[in-house]
Amino acid sequence: MNALLSMIKANLKMTTRNRQAIFWNLAFPAIFILIFGTVFSRDMSVEFSVGIVGAESQLKSTTTATMRGSDAFSVHTDGTSDAELKQLEDGDRDIVLVFGDVPASGGQPEVQLYYDETAGPNANIAISVVRQVLLSAAQGENPVTVSETPVTSNEITFIDFFVPGILAMALMNAGVIGLSTAFVIYRERGILRRIKVTPFPLTSFVLARVLTQLVVAVAQAVILVGMARLIFGLTVHGNVFLILLVIIVGALAFLSIGFAISGFARNVESAASYANLVTFPMLFLSGVFFDIDSAPGWLQPITKVLPLRFLVDALREPMTRGKGLSDIWMDLVALLATFAIGMTIAIRFFRWDSRSA
Amino acid sequence: MTERSATSATPHVQNGEPIIEIAGLVKRYGSTAAVDCIDLTVMTGEIFGILGPNGAGKTTMLEMIEGLRKPDAGTIRVAGVDAVNESDRVRQMIGVQLQTTALFDYLNASELIELFAGLYGVDGGDARIDELLGRVGLQEKRKSRVDELSGGQRQRLSITLALVNQPKVVFLDEPTTGLDPGARRDLWQTILNVRASGTTVVLTTHYMEEADVLCDRVAVMDRGKVIACDTPTALVRRLGEQATITARASDIGPISGQLSGLPAVVTSTGEDVRLELRTTDVQATLVALLGLADRAGIVLTDLNARQSTLEDVFLSLTGRAYEQQTEKPENGESAGSGGRRRRRSAG
Repeated sequence: MNALLSMIKANLKMTTRNRQAIFWNLAFPAIFILIFGTVFSRDMSVEFSVGIVGAESQLKSTTTATMRGSDAFSVHTDGTSDAELKQLEDGDRDIVLVFGDVPASGGQPEVQLYYDETAGPNANIAISVVRQVLLSAAQGENPVTVSETPVTSNEITFIDFFVPGILAMALMNAGVIGLSTAFVIYRERGILRRIKVTPFPLTSFVLARVLTQLVVAVAQAVILVGMARLIFGLTVHGNVFLILLVIIVGALAFLSIGFAISGFARNVESAASYANLVTFPMLFLSGVFFDIDSAPGWLQPITKVLPLRFLVDALREPMTRGKGLSDIWMDLVALLATFAIGMTIAIRFFRWDSRSA
Repeated sequence: MTERSATSATPHVQNGEPIIEIAGLVKRYGSTAAVDCIDLTVMTGEIFGILGPNGAGKTTMLEMIEGLRKPDAGTIRVAGVDAVNESDRVRQMIGVQLQTTALFDYLNASELIELFAGLYGVDGGDARIDELLGRVGLQEKRKSRVDELSGGQRQRLSITLALVNQPKVVFLDEPTTGLDPGARRDLWQTILNVRASGTTVVLTTHYMEEADVLCDRVAVMDRGKVIACDTPTALVRRLGEQATITARASDIGPISGQLSGLPAVVTSTGEDVRLELRTTDVQATLVALLGLADRAGIVLTDLNARQSTLEDVFLSLTGRAYEQQTEKPENGESAGSGGRRRRRSAG
């Protein structure tokens, strides 16, 4: 066990010093996020779209008038309560205010404030601004009761859509390109032989590499998501442990592909070529950059068997919509199947020595 | 041989026990026997050299001792342990130095030692690292990575890693190939120090001078067989005090046909601008050669007569063996062509 830990420790040191690997695994996907995030992000407009419905009251009219008079709000009053809430769900409203009846005993009507909980920091700003308006409209006469109700909107910001895709891409590259070239280099340079003459089993050597790769995968996720969160306000919904599980299963699937390639690639150049051959088409057909459901019909069946597609979906659903295991289990199974197939090919073809026999 | 006694300190201690015993070892690839029934014994505490051209089978034989390949027949025992069936136990006891590309790029010297110590489950702490690096004079290179080291330093680091587990036997694969003469001499001293610490050394080499200087005994391999195994001095003596005469001239042509007829000449080559004679009597041959050249009006320059070395042993052993075998012509070669200056086999 200690020998395995020694190997993992050495692997991690080497990974952090390998500048090429750091570029491909972190800088490259990070640049994607920065560029696309900046170019395609919705404007962080300070205009809040507010729907106002409910029973008529002094409070309601004052609030409506105040908001109408401000550039910060676009007010919609002609819809029904249901219609407005639907708009909120569709992401066309930031806030919906439902005013109750004026109580018979006097005082302010109850106000229900519906907000889009997936809007992140925008929602909080909207809520506090609207609260201010309500308070000033009530003019301190009688306290206004505002109950806040979150609503999940289907609206996904560009960043929400994009980051899981880029994370999947990063995991794929690290696994396929990273592992395929690594093992071919180890074989070519005689490092596998060098390990083979020690009591340390080659299977443990491979295991150490796999475990190191998983640590790297989680680190990639944390760094990229953290960066997106900090700069673009990405919100991660869904269960963190589920997402972690997806990351690990996805990383395993792709490193098995990398491993398989290293089995029959003769040298580093051909390993890199095969790796690119595998990763590039997947990159554009798996929904990383645009919703693949809008691709032509004849393309659809192909996209449905791509491992990257499974990972993108399995990451996107929990991260953007908070979906759970029951929604993505098929993707996970598909990824595990990829892992099994990849490992079978790898074991079948892998040569520990670059010389024959 | 004066060079040897100058570099080796005190006569090493051998306790007379064999540490590697090989009997009837065979390894075939298809119809060729890469290792063709070899019996060999390496004694504890000696530096044992293995010489031979590429394809002689020395690497294959070493791989079988190290547990990288399985023999088709025969036994190998290392310190009494069956190397074929208990190769894991053997691996714990041996150290192997392969080519220096087999080192991880992104680790420095002390981290490499720490890693390999961990793989063997032995002490890899700072004190041990200092001790190991000190033994090969690499203390200042503790934090250096492989690409920051010179060729000689990399070889020394490689050897150090092979010693991490305090092995009983260490296997060095052509340790000074590609090094400049100064680095080569430094490494020889390192290897002698390894023996002095009680570790048996088995090394393969192309360099005859190296075998002369370092090895207590040498096995000469050719085509999967050990064709001679003795101390370097004894091997040279077997040649019967042969010497080699070389000379250059503007055109050897006129006398080339008569070279083999000169007194005491064993083999001769004379073509173009160079001649080489092997003789059992330097003086007789030299006198006759000078007379011959004089009469033909040929001016000889760079005249050189030297005693036989291991290189001559090797050439004569393999050349003679090649001559003596009756073999079917392969690839257009004719059988039994003697007096060939160099044998180069593929791969």
